[in-house]
Parts: sequence; structure tokens; C-alpha cells
Amino acid sequence: MANTHANDRIELTREVIPKAALARDIRGNEDGAVATFDGCVRNHSHGRATLHLEYEAYESMALSKMREIAHELHSHYAINRVAIVHRLGRLEIGETSVFIAVSSAHRAAAFDACRHAIDTLKKTVPIWKKEYFADGAVWADGELPPAPGQTRGTKPASN
Amino acid sequence: MLVKVLYFGRLKEVSGAPEESVELCDGARIEDLFTQCALSRPELRKFRSSLVAARNREFAAWDTPLDPGDEIGFLPPVSGG
Repeated sequence: MANTHANDRIELTREVIPKAALARDIRGNEDGAVATFDGCVRNHSHGRATLHLEYEAYESMALSKMREIAHELHSHYAINRVAIVHRLGRLEIGETSVFIAVSSAHRAAAFDACRHAIDTLKKTVPIWKKEYFADGAVWADGELPPAPGQTRGTKPASN
Repeated sequence: MLVKVLYFGRLKEVSGAPEESVELCDGARIEDLFTQCALSRPELRKFRSSLVAARNREFAAWDTPLDPGDEIGFLPPVSGG
């Protein structure tokens, strides 16, 4: 499991995400910028009206992957603190499903790191979204995480 | 050896249960485990090409050898965010 900095906040929650408190708490006096990403539930998907969403996760692995993202941000950007919080369970239209906040001395690093965090989360963190419509529910199309190739030179079993 | 299998998303609905324990021969790999899981539920097979496997909470290649007590997750495309 990747190390995270002591003041980072990496969480899964079934409650409303306390966005203002998270953005406030990750700011230190050495910071000149806090960039945030607020991912929220929209009322449509592929031209259909969405009623609500449900998120589920492979929780232990999701937290591990979210910590890896924070670790990666600290390695690649001149940032100070990271908050990545994803909500699970039933979410209504307009509610926040994921909130990311990054603090840094200067704005470019915070913007870049925040973008990197959400883009990576959507590709590698094992969380799934089910979309509920008036006429049924579907699991959202997602991204297949990049998995390691073969562990050795043998031919893998066919599909 | 005994390993634990976890199913997520649409796969959980196809498998009919979120998790199960599976007895395997020594030397079995993740691919063998999936094949065995699909024996009793052939409909799992059609998801094989759109899944990734995780071994003990890390993404793993399909030819990864298994150890007793491993936790193997079969993960459909992720859609968090």
C-alpha cells in the first residue's frame, strides 16, 4: 500500500461529502492555492433521464488505489496536501459523488494534480456506478483498468 | 487449496453472489480459477474479455499463480467518479 502524507484525506463514505470542510482543512499557511474537483450526479445519461445512481466499490482495494493516486501526486507535483473522497450507495441528482482537493504554494501544480487525480481515479479505482432510469437500470459503461500482462513467457489461456 | 473470489458490478448479478470460496489444485492460476467459477455459471464466460483480475487487492495478470488464502477479485470496467 502506498504511503500517504499524514494530512491527506483518502476516504470512502456513505454520507454527504463535507466539501467545504475538506477544502478548508487541507489548506495550510504555506499554500497559495487549493484546486478542487466536484464530481456530481447529472440528470441524464446517453439521452435518457436519470432518476438516481448507486455506487459500489471493492472497498479495501479502492482505498489502496486512491492512496496510490495521492502518493503519485506528491511524487510528481509540487503540492502539499490531497483529499480524495468518494461516496458510495444511493445518490440523488445534484449530489457529489467524488470530491478532490489539492493544496499547493502555486496554482499550476494544484490544477494539474487535481486533474491527474480524477482522470486516474476514473481508470484505476474499483468503483462501479449503476444508473437508474424510469424504465430500468444499467451498470454504466466504464474503463477497463490497465492490468499487468503475462507474468512469464507462456501463452495465456484463450478467451 | 482454498481461495476467496469476489464479484463486482454486473458480474455480481451474473454470479448470483458477491463472494465464494473455491477449492483449486495446487499450481492453479487466475485463469484456471475463472474457468472453474464459470463451470457452474456458463454465462460468466462472455464477460471474460472485458474483465480484469485482482489478486490480494492488486491488479494481476491472468496467468498469475495462486496461493492458498488468496483473495481474487473479478472486476468489470470501472465507472467511479
